[in-house]
Amino acid sequence: MNEATFMGVPRSRIDWSPRIDYAKCNDCLECVEFCPHQVFEVREAEMPKLIVKNPGNCVVFCRACAKTCGVDALSFPNKNQTTLLIKQVRKEMGGR
Amino acid sequence: MKDTARDSVQATENLKHSGTNGVYAILPCNGLDKAAGAVSREVALQLAERTGSEILCPVFYRVAEARYNRLAGERPLLVIDGCATRCASKLAAENGLKASKKLTVTEEAKQRGIELGDALRLDEAGCSLAKALATALLDAEAVETAEQKAATAFPEHFEYETYQKDKFLFRLPKSGFFFNENDVWVLADGNRARVGLTDYLQQTLSDILFATPPAVGTVVEQFGELGTIESAKAVMEVVSPVTGKVVAVNQALAASPELINQNPYEQGWLVELELADFEKDRELLLDFAGYLPVLKRKVDQFQVR
Ligand code: SF4
Ligand code: SF4
Repeated sequence: MNEATFMGVPRSRIDWSPRIDYAKCNDCLECVEFCPHQVFEVREAEMPKLIVKNPGNCVVFCRACAKTCGVDALSFPNKNQTTLLIKQVRKEMGGR
Repeated sequence: MKDTARDSVQATENLKHSGTNGVYAILPCNGLDKAAGAVSREVALQLAERTGSEILCPVFYRVAEARYNRLAGERPLLVIDGCATRCASKLAAENGLKASKKLTVTEEAKQRGIELGDALRLDEAGCSLAKALATALLDAEAVETAEQKAATAFPEHFEYETYQKDKFLFRLPKSGFFFNENDVWVLADGNRARVGLTDYLQQTLSDILFATPPAVGTVVEQFGELGTIESAKAVMEVVSPVTGKVVAVNQALAASPELINQNPYEQGWLVELELADFEKDRELLLDFAGYLPVLKRKVDQFQVR
């Protein structure tokens, strides 16, 4: 099975990953410690220190790291739009 | 723990749980650095005034464990966290206390569309939120048992395929179940369905300390939040595999969340829903044959942290 798919849809076509609100983030790095998928990257000497390095590693519809963030700095795309898009792509692919 | 010891602990837990009448031992966040802390404290005060519940001061707790541990042993424990840092929950866990109810102020505020702001003193919005939360908690307690439609009789045992890695054994029911890639299963019977975690999710979380199902009557969408599960490691959102209305929650989990660890497909199920359109949901679900390779891939990457 190809690893980079979700429900048969290429992962690269699905826009799902955490968005960091830098006005709120205090670099506590709880989210980084929590996520086992290497989605985030910590850059010690740079600003901002925390970035979403590998959005494609993020599990589609997972929002788990948001629960670890004490200042509520993480948000996600709209799940209904994402669902619709996935269904649409599946249809296109089925029609080939 | 020996079985008999566990049974008697369980009996006490059940007793404690059924006879609450809203009288709790309350362990609130008392954070002075965030608005949510002031709201937590106010919710605790409201409940204490209205029900005779007793408040455990988290700061005093650090120096006087014995007294509070006794109190928490006598009454069901309500833990009120201000924010996702969950200091109060962590304090309870450190002291081996088992919560029978939990509340996170920032989550509740978000659900109600209330901005808490930066002011550290309780303002009017915070005060009315605290009042609303206390009232909601007491109301929920009153209707909870009344509203719960009898859980449907789903089979009690299933046949499993197993997949093993090191000392971890992952079970997967062979037929009838559907799964989302977020490791949550659904078993439908007509327009009624049962939902729970897969063995994979249960194992990655390890010892489950608390399950917070949505209230009966809540409508959830496919891939929306269907409550949370808390372990020593983390709080995990349950990603709903279906769209529907919650009609029953597994009440045994309040006293014995470890049922999820023992068997998340049988006694450890989470909620029952009235399905909106299962055919439509199924388009984005996997059956046994579809989920098995996903499970294997995840297990092979799985690292015990
Ligand atoms: S948990 Fe929140 S505040 Fe902490 S680093 Fe992550 S985004 Fe920033
Ligand atoms: S949503 Fe889940 S997979 Fe994505 S970054 Fe957060 S914890 Fe990791």
